[in-house]
Amino acid sequence: MSHDLAAQLIALTTGLLLLTAVQQLWLRSVLGSVALLVVQGAALAGLVATIAVAEQEWEALAMAVVILALKAGFLPWALARTATLTRVHDGLDPGARPASGLLLAVLLTTVAYVVSQPLIGPNPTDAARAVPVGIALVLLGFLILLTRHIAVSQLVGFLVLDNGIAATGFLVSGGLPLTTEIGVLFDVLLVVLILRVLTVRMVRLTGGTSLPELRELRD
Amino acid sequence: MSGPGALLAVLALAGVAIAVPWLTPDRLRSPLSGGASALLGLGGVAAGVAAMGGAGGVLTLPLVVPATAGLDPVTLAPTPLGGVFLVVAGGVGALAAFFGIGYAHGPAASRTAWSAYAAFLLGMLLVPAAADVLSFLLAWELMAVASTVLVLADHAVRPTVRSATLWYAVMTHLSFLLLLAGFAVLAAGAGGTAFERIAAAQASGPAASVAFVLLVLGFGTKAGLVPLHVWLPRAHPEAPSHVSAAMSAAMVKMGVYGILLTLGLLAPGPQWWGFGLLVLGCASALYGVLQAAVNSDLKRLLAYSTSENVGLIVTALGVGVLLGDAGQRRVAEVAIVAALLLVVSHAAFKTALFLGAGSILHVTGERDLDRLGGLVHTHPFTAISFGLGAMGATALPITSGFVAEWVLLQALVHGDGRADRLIAVTLPLAMGVVALTVGLGLLTFVKAWAIAFLARPRSERAANPDHAQGSHDHSITMIAGLVVSGALVVALGFAAGPLSVELARAAGVGGVERVGLLGVAFPAVGVLLEPAALTLLALAIAVPFAAYNAVLRVRRPRRDTELPWGCGGVRTSPRMEYTATSYAEPLVRIFGASLDPTRQLTVEHPEGNPLLVSRVTFSQRLVDVIEQRAYLPVKRAVLRLGDAARLVQNGSIHRYLAFSFVALLLVLAVVSL
Amino acid sequence: MNAAVLAVLAAQVVVALALTPLLIGVMRQVRTRLEGRAGPGVWQPWRDTVKLLAKEPLRAAGSSWVLWLAPAALVVSSVMVVALIPLIATPALPLLPADLFVVVSVLLVGTVALALLGLESGTAFGGMGSSRHMMIAALVEPTVLIAVYALSIPAATSSLGTIIASRLTDVTAVMTPAGLLAIVALFVVVLAECGRLPVDNPATHLELTMVHEAMILESGGRDLAWLELGSWLRLTALLGLVVNLAAPWGIATEPTPAGLAVGVAAFSVKLLAAGAGIAAAEVFLAKLRLFRVPELLAGSFVLAFLAVTASYLVA
Repeated sequence: MSHDLAAQLIALTTGLLLLTAVQQLWLRSVLGSVALLVVQGAALAGLVATIAVAEQEWEALAMAVVILALKAGFLPWALARTATLTRVHDGLDPGARPASGLLLAVLLTTVAYVVSQPLIGPNPTDAARAVPVGIALVLLGFLILLTRHIAVSQLVGFLVLDNGIAATGFLVSGGLPLTTEIGVLFDVLLVVLILRVLTVRMVRLTGGTSLPELRELRD
Repeated sequence: MSGPGALLAVLALAGVAIAVPWLTPDRLRSPLSGGASALLGLGGVAAGVAAMGGAGGVLTLPLVVPATAGLDPVTLAPTPLGGVFLVVAGGVGALAAFFGIGYAHGPAASRTAWSAYAAFLLGMLLVPAAADVLSFLLAWELMAVASTVLVLADHAVRPTVRSATLWYAVMTHLSFLLLLAGFAVLAAGAGGTAFERIAAAQASGPAASVAFVLLVLGFGTKAGLVPLHVWLPRAHPEAPSHVSAAMSAAMVKMGVYGILLTLGLLAPGPQWWGFGLLVLGCASALYGVLQAAVNSDLKRLLAYSTSENVGLIVTALGVGVLLGDAGQRRVAEVAIVAALLLVVSHAAFKTALFLGAGSILHVTGERDLDRLGGLVHTHPFTAISFGLGAMGATALPITSGFVAEWVLLQALVHGDGRADRLIAVTLPLAMGVVALTVGLGLLTFVKAWAIAFLARPRSERAANPDHAQGSHDHSITMIAGLVVSGALVVALGFAAGPLSVELARAAGVGGVERVGLLGVAFPAVGVLLEPAALTLLALAIAVPFAAYNAVLRVRRPRRDTELPWGCGGVRTSPRMEYTATSYAEPLVRIFGASLDPTRQLTVEHPEGNPLLVSRVTFSQRLVDVIEQRAYLPVKRAVLRLGDAARLVQNGSIHRYLAFSFVALLLVLAVVSL
Repeated sequence: MNAAVLAVLAAQVVVALALTPLLIGVMRQVRTRLEGRAGPGVWQPWRDTVKLLAKEPLRAAGSSWVLWLAPAALVVSSVMVVALIPLIATPALPLLPADLFVVVSVLLVGTVALALLGLESGTAFGGMGSSRHMMIAALVEPTVLIAVYALSIPAATSSLGTIIASRLTDVTAVMTPAGLLAIVALFVVVLAECGRLPVDNPATHLELTMVHEAMILESGGRDLAWLELGSWLRLTALLGLVVNLAAPWGIATEPTPAGLAVGVAAFSVKLLAAGAGIAAAEVFLAKLRLFRVPELLAGSFVLAFLAVTASYLVA
């Protein structure tokens, strides 16, 4: 693979990562942001594959396949099922505040750019230059986790956060050892599955997972 | 006239202008005093032009100053940069004084007021002429005290004037204290008070940063930067309009001059200086324009717009400093030229706007836009002049504001962020802020002009102007003041090239060239703007259009009707028109979180029938959020402290004598030790 | 050279004037056909304009010179924009470059003229439309400037002609993430500025949803003709700019007759295709609630901002 092509592909996949995260903040629809996870997972897999081919680390290619299967396939599917099972508020998250969320996204991206300067060093590679995107993804994931009310959209935020961590890891060092990566992936899988079960049960019990409403139950 | 001659002439004219009100009979007081003040302003312009040409001269004043070490003689020696501000202050002061001849009445035309106006103008002319800390601070204080007297002029008529003056006085003195402290740090480091000596010392390190913060905050208070702007929206509306014009268009600029002076006195500092200026400027621009957009008090709106424009100026300075530090000197120079162009253009259009607002107030006695309307028919000069000022404020082509903001945007777009990520993200954000400011400014001034001048009058007073309480028809001086200030807004826009070249020379920066007939070019960044070419293009399109339209008009003349589109057949009452408040309603909704409006909506039903509505009342109150959240708590704390101090201060003479006695004993004890 | 460039400007004005009613006609016809109606044919806007120009305008009691000046200002500013923006060829006069900020300022003259006209009539509708129009214009402004800023970074200039010419020579620049993001952002802006769905419905006279129509409600005869033509020209200019930035192919870089002929043909095809695409998309779109519009514009602002950061990223 030529150097230029690799740089273009890295730019494209990281651009997609950031774009999908921003769109997840933009959308009120829970299912919509779950659907965006598919694109995001595919972009992450593409990024990993590009780095793998460019740096000739073939075992990372296997990693890309696993990521594609889990993050663009199974996890979004599981979340979508949960969302349809626990459908409340017309499928819209009442915690979504698109206008202010998007402006915050601009500020967080700015922060990511500024703070990533020491991580990158003076003569960055093409991959290292995209590190701010990974950090921005982490921050945006946190933002979604913080602001959303419904359990499924919070899980979306959690997955965005995790995608951000994975992307940063690959961009900085070309990936952690394979076993660690897979371990992390399965942790995430476990978390999502457990929460999924919990969510469905909670909705059967209380009729919703909106946090403010749950707080009312406690009071 | 050049050299110290011009400065001496200014001082002599000031003496005359201060004395005239006390020596003339009542009937001639306003024409003669206003004329004398206008002459003083013109003298200032002459001195400023001389200074911009490098012939400012040096005038050492024989003021008695204790010859202690570290105090240099009190000297006036305007630099070319100071010359720019002399011209601005003199020009605005002269125009406002001329307008004031016809405008001022009642307390604003008293002996004290006219004398104070001359003293105020003198103060504004001395500030940029000062060449040492002592004369600078003296001139600054003269400007502050005289303007306080002027704001107070109408205190007997309107009680709100008193609280406004109090705010103004407190903020002004806060500013003075900060300046005193800042200059003290610099003078101590340099071992003298002359600006030359301080600049030669090239202060750097923590002391320089302390001085920078103190001075920028002090000057920022005067310039009306958020969050130190609170006096502006109170003092500007309450002062007589010609004084508001002078305060807003000229005095506020002295704060900008101060910041430029500070930057000149210090060696280039750390990166956060430029960044801080940029943030301060962007915050002021955005907050100012947002408040201006939702306010319906015409003069308060203009006051907030002043905050906005000063914010843009400081943004330009911040960009200049930031890029200068980053080694992009050529782009930094563009930003500095932008700042000066913004200074000059704001002076021109804000004069036109405040004089126009004064004219409206004069004939209707109203400054609430919700009660105005239809004035374009009765007051065409005011309408056109205010309109030109509004075009300048919204940077529409071709006005001075257009040229200035074009240069600012060029500086932003050509800054190279590749080397530094901070610059890479701040420049686009700053550009977004500037763009949003321009957009909201458009909304503000479309609202201000169209609601005041177009459609039908929204109140009795606006319907029958000139018959308002105690006012009389427009005098020739008012019309002249309006026309000249409006014409200046356009003329300065057309003279983009010559003006930019002169300003760049005065600021000591290069990279500006004159191209074509009147155009300006920045060869270093490869951009140019030629107002004449743009006008030619517009004419080439407008003339055929007008000709064709004329043919159509001959064929099918316009027909008068009662109303073009019936919608029920009766002309609705003026109460159905959109008002300034309703015009800004979408904005209040969108920016509700940062404006914090208080609304009340009560619906009354006729007795026994909850489904019908007999009466709906709506009221909305918008307050300055910063004032509410930051200043009022401090004010309350101070009041509590005052209450606490009553414990030791009960008014008994014996107790006060006892305090003195104890103090004496303490002093004796300390001395004997 | 200068005479040739002047000819280019004149050609752009003529082409735009000729093409604009056709563009609107095509958009309306595509829409009606997709909705299963017959439609009046693509030449109807032409016929409407000619008819309106021959009719007398009315002047209500209490109206002022704004009544006739606003349509004139709108048309003249729109034609100026059409002349300035590189639609069929990139060369510009040495003293009159197609500077982005100048173009935006000239556009704003038209925006303000419309808003003043809305308030001039003194009716509630006019004020309502004017207020909404200015709010949208204000919120659109940051996105316009930042999006073109992003596109200007590779070319290091704010001159539209140079930006388009450099995109023409460097094909990869068209496909970079930065370029795509900026163009999507600009596209949203064009929809908002020109009063298309989902921001404003150009075909509505329903009081709650009107923006553009509310402002021109009181105008008639040739005033209305000029207002409509001026607004349509703005669509031609802005849409033309976006298609030329997105797909610069075919635009003439030298003011030769052959190049111009190719430029005119390419521009006509690109513009009409884009218009038809928008019209087809509009069939599936509902108008946004007015207070959801800021969300859309905030989104486009974020896209533009990401475009800037991305163009530093891969530069």
